[in-house]
This record gives sequence, C-alpha cells and structure tokens, in this order.
Amino acid sequence: MASIMRTGLLRPAFQSPAASSRMLSTFASASASATIKRSSPLAHQLRPQFVRSTIPKTTRVAAFHATRRTQILPPLPQKIQGTVNDPAPVPHPEYTHGSYHWTFERLVSVGLVPLCIAPFAAGSLNPVMDATLCALLVLHSHIGFESCIIDYIPRKRLPVLRAMADWALRIGTVLLGLALYSFETNDVGITEAVKQLWHA
Amino acid sequence: MATTRAFARLATRGTAVRPTIFARGFASVDPIAKAGEKLSPEPARKVVPESKTSTLQEPAPDKQAKIKTFHVYRWNPDEPSSKPRMQSYTLDLNKTGPMMLDALIRIKNEMDPTLTFRRSCREGICGSCAMNIDGVNTLACLCRIPTDTAKESRIYPLPHMFVVKDLVPDMTNFYKQYRSIKPYLQRATPPPDGREYRQSKDDRKKLDGLYECILCACCSTSCPSYWWNQEEYLGPAVLLQSYRWIADSRDEKKAERQDALNNSMSLYRCHTILNCSRTCPKGLNPALAIAEIKKGMAFA
Repeated sequence: MASIMRTGLLRPAFQSPAASSRMLSTFASASASATIKRSSPLAHQLRPQFVRSTIPKTTRVAAFHATRRTQILPPLPQKIQGTVNDPAPVPHPEYTHGSYHWTFERLVSVGLVPLCIAPFAAGSLNPVMDATLCALLVLHSHIGFESCIIDYIPRKRLPVLRAMADWALRIGTVLLGLALYSFETNDVGITEAVKQLWHA
Repeated sequence: MATTRAFARLATRGTAVRPTIFARGFASVDPIAKAGEKLSPEPARKVVPESKTSTLQEPAPDKQAKIKTFHVYRWNPDEPSSKPRMQSYTLDLNKTGPMMLDALIRIKNEMDPTLTFRRSCREGICGSCAMNIDGVNTLACLCRIPTDTAKESRIYPLPHMFVVKDLVPDMTNFYKQYRSIKPYLQRATPPPDGREYRQSKDDRKKLDGLYECILCACCSTSCPSYWWNQEEYLGPAVLLQSYRWIADSRDEKKAERQDALNNSMSLYRCHTILNCSRTCPKGLNPALAIAEIKKGMAFA
C-alpha cells in the first residue's frame, strides 16, 4: 500500500538501539536487538490491519508515560514592567466585574439552595418557581463557566481564544435559556422531569 | 497489552486519519518530535531526578549515625543549557540542628558550598528561607526535620516562581504587587491633639493576625489562582496586607484602597481554595482577610 512509500516506516530500523529501547514499556525486558526486530517494518506488516492502522507509523511501541508531551501554556520568560521599584499597575475599578458581580453571584448561589429543595420538600409544582429555578440555574452556570475562562485563558496571552471562549459561552447560555424555556412551556418542566427521572 | 492499547486508541480517535498536529500524546512516542526535543532542549521544564545525579555523603559518619537523605533542587544560571536537577545529600541527624535550615546550612558549610538559598534570622521572623519542603511551602527555619530516617526529604524553591538560582526564587513581581497596594498609612488630616494618630484598643485588635505577616510568599505561591494569573491576581499575602490597611482605623483612604481591588482580576480570582491558610508558617489566615475584604465591598 501507500505505506511502503513512507520513509517513516524505515526510521525504526535506523534508530539507535538505546533510543528505541528507552521508549519501550511493553517490551521492556527485551534486548535492544529484539526490540528493533519487533519494531521493524516487516514485523509491522505482519500485524493485523486494525493494529497497524492505529499504532503510529514510526514506532510500534508505547512509552511509559501517558501524559502530554507538551505543556498547555508554558510560562514565558519573565518580563518586568518598568523598574523593580515601580509598583505593579493598578487597574481601573470596574464594579460590574468586581464587587457587584461577586454579590450577584453569591445571591444567585444562595437563592438556588431553597429553590432546589422546596419543590421536592413541599411537593408543589408552581410554574413560577420552576421558571425562577431555571433562570437562576442558567445564570449560575454562566457565571461558573465564565470564571473558568477567566482563570485558565489569560486575555494577554491568548486574546483570540479568549474571545472565542467568551462568545461560545454566551451563545451556549442563550441556547440553554431557550432550551429550558421551550422545555418549560412545551413539556413538563424541570422539576417534574427530575421527579419522573427519580421515580423511573 | 498492545491490543488493548490499540482498542483504546481506536475508541478515543474520531477519524481514521488524523494530522499529527492534532494528535494528543497518548501513550505513544513520536520519534520525529522526540528528535526535535533533543535538538532544542527545554532546560527549565523538567528536573533531572535524584536517581540520575550523584549523592554527596556525610563527611565522617559515626557508628550510631542517623543518616537521612535530602534531595535538593539545584539549578545554576551560569550553565543555562543544563537542566535543573535533584542533588542528594546525606546528613547525620545527630550532628545536625533540628530544623531544615540547619540541615541546609550544614550542607553548605561542610559538603557543598555552591548550594544557594536565602536565610537570615533563622527564627521565622524575616521570611527569607521560604521554600517548598516535602511538598509544603514553609520557612525552612520553622520546619523540623522529620526524624524518620527512612523517609527522604525533598526541598524545592517556591512553586511557580522564576528561579534565580537553586532555592532562590525571583520575588520581583511579588514585591511590585505589594508596592501597588500602598502599604503605608494614608491620611490628609492631622491628629486632633497634634501629637499622634491614636486608635482604640478595639480598633487595634482588628489588626491582630494581620500585622504579623512577614511576606514570605508561602501562601501566594501555594495558591493555584496565583499560579495561573500571577501578573494580575494579587495573591493572598498582598491581599492580607491590603486588608491590614483597609481595617486600620487611622487610615483615611479606605474607599480608594477598595476601588483598587474592585475589578475581576486583582481580588476576585480568589476562589477560597484555602491553601494559603493551610500553609502559612506563621499561622495566619489570609483567606479570612480576603473574605473580609469581599464582605466589606459586597454591600458598599
């Protein structure tokens, strides 16, 4: 097949034994020469097709570590703004992203607790309460995911990805709101759904 | 075994053919990428484990010596191409003082004068010898050496800080942040009797648990939020100091101090992980101070 054209197939044959045996975990006890044989193109051709297609073309062996080789966001070299005796820049106050946001978030979280318990404890299925629960859930999840984005996608280093993530979250929140609205209006509603699932 | 892995790979992979760029490192080694790594090593990324470095032994061990092994992070900026490594040292605990700092000083005096670390007061009041000992940020001078000689101790610099050399972290950003909160009394009005700025005993009591902070940065460098957003989030130590001035009854710039924190990054990246209060070698509670700042700003 086309694989014969790939020079990568031949590479294991030219690799130094030390390098290839270092990468082995499954054949750790095998000697260096044996590992070369195992990873030779011929041995590869003898394997079943599904194995062949899934193992990377160049080596037929797995390393010990299953973690990523590359870091997700490795730290850049240190950069100091101004001299060492200047204070770090103080941002302008933004109440909507600061204290108001935090207060609102806490109020939503606190409000969710009785709203989650009440329908099941009291046994009432008030549509207004259901709607409030849905609205607060949407807000709560939006704020939570927004926090994740702010934490893990720094605007300075990944401005494009940050904007994409922000918009994806906004679109997702709107979609969730619409979905819950139609679920509330056209179907049984969230409390009843949980109840039915519980008794199912 | 290989078959299982192949099945797992089949299951986790969406398409039959996938470009290498998007291929995730999944229990496999790409020799081409490996060769690239070899050509341009990333010196600061990975530490050479102690199993691959030499061990410096106790100079003259006794018969009843209690030999304990210390693995110390070493990196020399004069050799920028060499990786950081874990150097092992064995010490007789009978000849060493009780604290980790004593062990480090003994290593530096008697075994390896190239070992570099900060230390000054050796009694937990200067905050110089903050480092990560056995996985906990603490002051070496306040950390007892575990007498269990079977266990080996590992000493690293403060995590997620730029390393100047060996155990010395670069605190520039930390101090610049401290400076940005204006850690001094700000007043426009003179004292009423023209003598001193006085405060009541109750007002003074509000500063207990705040003024004792020695700015060793153990708490800030234990905070995952500070790890991810060091440039913008101020970190528990600096916020504790900020609250020390917000809570001070003599200070007249409380609103300005609060406004300086009132954005999404400076203060509100605190997610009450509470690593700060757990690790503080002075037994302070930075998380409580941050919570007090948030509370004070919540309904202001």
